[in-house]
Amino acid sequence: MSDLPYGAPVRISPLIKFGRWSFLTVGVLYGAFHQNRLSKKEAKLREIEAQEKVIRDAKLKEEKERASALEIKALEEMASGTAKK
Amino acid sequence: MASAVAKVPTLINTAITQARPKLNIFMKYARVELAPPKLSELPQIRQGIGNLITSAKTGAWKRQTVKEATLNVLVGAEVIFWFYIGECIGKRHLVGYDV
Repeated sequence: MSDLPYGAPVRISPLIKFGRWSFLTVGVLYGAFHQNRLSKKEAKLREIEAQEKVIRDAKLKEEKERASALEIKALEEMASGTAKK
Repeated sequence: MASAVAKVPTLINTAITQARPKLNIFMKYARVELAPPKLSELPQIRQGIGNLITSAKTGAWKRQTVKEATLNVLVGAEVIFWFYIGECIGKRHLVGYDV
């Protein structure tokens, strides 16, 4: 303890030490608990999203097909219209 | 540019060698000042909590000087910030929850 440049270490009040360590442990538990809770929640959300993605993809595909069919039809009409002239 | 990049390891090494004695001093203080409370200090802790409660009940906390109050607030804030350090350790991520 002789080579300490700032004098002897301060004697921290036991209450402060107790407060620090108890808050630290409570914080660790709180963080772990909420990490666990939130990751479970997120996993559930991801599952639902994956289910919805299948439905949405099918819907989008159908819409695209319908749109392209309409487009082709319109183009054909246009082409036949110009051919008639 | 290449020479600057080549200097980085030596820079890191000098930083480490320069920081080591300071870290040793820090550790010596931390061993004493940041040590967890001993079981033998339990009566003192109980007394301290009792003091806090009586001062809250009697309103003694309103009769402090500004200096005392400032110090107490700062110490209290420091003690409470340990909770957030603990939370970061518990959730194993620095910012927000990594889900």
